[in-house]
Amino acid sequence: MPDTILVIVEQRENKLNRVSWETITAGQAITAATGWTLEAAVVGASASSIAAEVAAKKVAKVYAVESPKLEPYTPDAFAEALKQLLAAKQPKLVLMPHTYQVRDFVPKLATAMGRTVISDCIGFKHENGKLVFTRQMFQGKLAADVSFTSDAPWFATFQNGAFRGDKAEAGASAAPVETVNVEIADGVVRNKPQEVFKEAKQAVDLTQAEIIVSVGRGIKEQKNIEIAKQLADALGGDLAASRPICDSGWLPMDRQIGSSGQTVAPKLYLALGISGAIQHIVGMKGSRTIIAVNKDSEAPIFEIADYAIVGNLFDIVPPLIEEVKKAKAGS
Amino acid sequence: MLIFRKPIEGVERPQMPADVVIVGGGPAGMACALRLSQLIDQHKAAHPDSQLSKENIYVLEKAREVGQHCLSGALLDPRSMRELLPGFEKEAPLDAEVTNEAVYFLTERSKFKLPITPPPLRDHGNYVISLNRFVKWLGGKVEETGITIFTGFAGSELLFDGDRVTGVRTDDKGVDKEGHQKSNFEPGYDLNAKITILAEGPRGSLTKQLVSRFDLARDANPQTYGIGVKELWEVPSGRIAPGEVVYTMGWPLTPKEYGGAWIYGGKDNVVSLGFVTGLDYPDPRLDPQRVLQDFKQHPMVAKLLEGGKMIRYGAKSMPYGGWWAIPPVAGNGWMILGDSAGFLNSARLKGIHLAIKSGMLAAETAFDALKKDDSSAAMLGEYQKKVESSWIKDELWKVRNMHQGFEQGLYAGMFHTGLQMITGGRGLRNRYPAKAGHEHMHKLAELPADGGNEAHLLGPAKGDGKLTFDKLTDLYHSGTKHEEDQPAHLVIHDTNICNTRCVKEFGSPCQNFCPANVYEMVDDAGQPNGKRISLNPSNCVHCKTCDIADPYQIITWVPPEGGGGPNYDGM
Amino acid sequence: MKQVPQKDAPLKLNESAAWIREDVSYEVNEPDAYALEEALRQKEKHTGEVVVITSGPARSQQVLREALAKGADRAIHLEDNAFVGLDAFNTAKAFAAAIKDEKFDLIFTGLQSDDYGYAQTGVILAELLGWPHATIIMQIEKNDTGIRVKRELEAGFFQFVDMPLPAVLTIQSGINKLRYATLIGIKQAKNKPLRKVTLAEVQPAIGENLQKIERLYVPQKTKKTEHIEGSPSEIAKKLVDKLRNELRVI
Repeated sequence: MPDTILVIVEQRENKLNRVSWETITAGQAITAATGWTLEAAVVGASASSIAAEVAAKKVAKVYAVESPKLEPYTPDAFAEALKQLLAAKQPKLVLMPHTYQVRDFVPKLATAMGRTVISDCIGFKHENGKLVFTRQMFQGKLAADVSFTSDAPWFATFQNGAFRGDKAEAGASAAPVETVNVEIADGVVRNKPQEVFKEAKQAVDLTQAEIIVSVGRGIKEQKNIEIAKQLADALGGDLAASRPICDSGWLPMDRQIGSSGQTVAPKLYLALGISGAIQHIVGMKGSRTIIAVNKDSEAPIFEIADYAIVGNLFDIVPPLIEEVKKAKAGS
Repeated sequence: MLIFRKPIEGVERPQMPADVVIVGGGPAGMACALRLSQLIDQHKAAHPDSQLSKENIYVLEKAREVGQHCLSGALLDPRSMRELLPGFEKEAPLDAEVTNEAVYFLTERSKFKLPITPPPLRDHGNYVISLNRFVKWLGGKVEETGITIFTGFAGSELLFDGDRVTGVRTDDKGVDKEGHQKSNFEPGYDLNAKITILAEGPRGSLTKQLVSRFDLARDANPQTYGIGVKELWEVPSGRIAPGEVVYTMGWPLTPKEYGGAWIYGGKDNVVSLGFVTGLDYPDPRLDPQRVLQDFKQHPMVAKLLEGGKMIRYGAKSMPYGGWWAIPPVAGNGWMILGDSAGFLNSARLKGIHLAIKSGMLAAETAFDALKKDDSSAAMLGEYQKKVESSWIKDELWKVRNMHQGFEQGLYAGMFHTGLQMITGGRGLRNRYPAKAGHEHMHKLAELPADGGNEAHLLGPAKGDGKLTFDKLTDLYHSGTKHEEDQPAHLVIHDTNICNTRCVKEFGSPCQNFCPANVYEMVDDAGQPNGKRISLNPSNCVHCKTCDIADPYQIITWVPPEGGGGPNYDGM
Repeated sequence: MKQVPQKDAPLKLNESAAWIREDVSYEVNEPDAYALEEALRQKEKHTGEVVVITSGPARSQQVLREALAKGADRAIHLEDNAFVGLDAFNTAKAFAAAIKDEKFDLIFTGLQSDDYGYAQTGVILAELLGWPHATIIMQIEKNDTGIRVKRELEAGFFQFVDMPLPAVLTIQSGINKLRYATLIGIKQAKNKPLRKVTLAEVQPAIGENLQKIERLYVPQKTKKTEHIEGSPSEIAKKLVDKLRNELRVI
């Protein structure tokens, strides 16, 4: 019997947390490399409907783990439920996305089973029959390949964006769904969570932004920031800046990116009129795609840019805004 | 609106009594603390009932960690260390013993080795060290003896009572950019000390306060300075041997500037190299960091560094004025050590051993003062006498006119130096006068627009990113970091002069002489010349060049919130 | 609390490339500084005792000294070079063994470390002790049944959770302004109790590591820069095309 990989899918507000698709993609990739079998599990309320969604992907089986005590989420309940599932199904490798919720319970689950978690991985390697997981260390300065020296089950969590959720392969036909009822005794759950709520954000948390339009000295004057804002709005992104802009008070400090501001790694980072001083670069070099606009062809920003536009940002940004709006309008 | 740092008014400050406060945890301050501890230990061994204690002896160090702000080439003459800790070579972190020295005169493309190494630059018996690591080690020894080193605390102003220095006030912490108290505000302490010892390094801020308050410099030559800009490099194995010492003169400087470079081979294939430019150059557009980048392009240096990696950058000023520029070093409740006093041998380009010796002599006086419970000017004046009858004086007396001889340029300087060498330092007269460095700076109107022969020294370096670097890239490697939300610690007393006069007369040289891009003239349509002075205080590397070189002398450098500053690991 | 290499310290791999060379400057793990601050604030509100614990070589004592200078009452140092090489599981086991005779009401950790970034030690410790826990906590209020904590969730969401005591909490970074140590605090710290725990004392509790760093390396950067050229309107069109079809951000 080949070993099994079990992906624990996460829910948010009774809907599938789409970051789980990334974990499925990861699972499928490891399956391709190792020849192991891929299964998935959904934990909590509405498990069955979400399980059906997951079953559409190329997985061998999906488990719907249900119990009234699983709603709302508590680490005690989840750890207990999964402990029972894992004891029954005995997978070799358990994968999860590195979300706040997973961080809250998976170390507990692993410890309860006398096992360990390699968390926040950005990839894996399968060399000479050995599986190692790659993760960043020292805030990205170094990378580490980590292996398990313990027995199964092995636990690993993947960083947001390490795999593409849209690359999760669909199955030829729907996978079978098995409902698993778990018994969570009274007294196991000790925390009493209240309703989840949203707060008016005081400060901008750019680390959550997927698209960032950032301005530097090249913007020349405070009033010109307006066109950058329009571009950001058109793209559905956030406005940010390099230090000199915030120091001048043209944008508040919480928009600053760099070694003395925020460190971001969005899907798209558009640098307008930013030269690329190292103190700025260290704050954004982890961005998935970097597009830089600067009239100086030797600006250091171009060394880390994926797309370089050498030119005057005041000529380029207005037509860009128009094209973006057109594209979004669905033309 | 620039808000400058000054002690917060109207707050109650915690009072802490002290026997001795040493401001500055560099070689002078640490040697002083260590020597004092030795004397007290010896005394208590012989007199167990003695009240003397190390409980109330403190070293104030503004860096987060001991040694973090220490930068030098450096070559250590072990003379004073051997007095302080015989056998220190066995445990101190020394990179290498100097194996050979060479002095070169450079032109843009070639080099001429001086057939004989001038005696002051002969370094046999000296050690190549990292001052940062050395001071860390020395600081460890001080802590072991039970003297408290307060790291992350700066001496922000002296406390006076008439003609007496009664102690030091430490920096206010948790003050925001506008000068208001933040929620974690902590007022600076008033350390009421019997003896206050200033060991702040070159151009100390408290030393400046003291000198100005009591007009201490009235009989001395104005102190003159150079700025040393340094890079630490890792080079491929075998390029340079540990203990190899190279000095250069000439290119890229012209005969109008004073200065030269050093290259020292350390261990583990690390090279220390840097360029010292006297802060008395005529063209305000000169950029000392650029001078270093130019120097590296000389074939000899480029070859040394090829394939290597720059790992650290930093800059610091150093006092060149020599014996005649040293003010009185002791008074009612105070003593001054090391570079703060000006104990640097500008012919040998060494001051660490003098700093250590001065620390030891001051410790001896402080010990006597504590025993007698007398820290009056007469008592502490013993330190002055000790210095004058020690080898510090012997050494510095011989080179007392060295730097002044260069005031008319390189060739005059060589002539005077030669003469001084055969006359025991006298030269043409016992005491050569000097002009403060900034007074040598010419107005732009008096200089060729294109810079003439100095053109290659002027303006910012562009940097190729491999051998040479622009200032910001270099600066990043200084590890400098400060709490961003605090008032500017580069106190400009009249920013109108920056915006109205300096911009035209000197072209805002602060942008050039600051090795850390702290000063910038930004566009401002509201100003008469369209530009306004703007500061990036958190870039500061605490070199004090601005305080020294500004032609109007309107900049006063004060310590920023303790804990901030460069991180000179390995420097 | 944990001592980690300074954030901007240049890191070099050691000979076996399984760890870094130790000759760098160290500092307290920033999230732990916030955990300490929160503990000190709770003490100010409710009285009590703040104890700080770390494991590591002699140099890591600095972290404890700084904590004592800020107002912590006691320190426990699991001192041995070997502690550096323990995985999170064993580290937590060592702590659990070292504190088995203590009667803490709350245990705080920072939400993760700046060097490993695993975010596990606190949660593992809770499981080993059999205590409830919560992670990424912004606020703590005492109530009749124990405590009410505010948990940070992703995307700007929050949640209050009622928990009994004793409990383990991992504290979010940046929730408070960190206080400064004062001169008096630093002086007094020298006289506060610091208990050293040797490796031998906790050895029975720990076992082999369950995971291993096979190798540490500098991540390779493979960046190819594509220039987009033409007139501004051409550039705009080409760029939007890429944004839409290649990068899928539109």
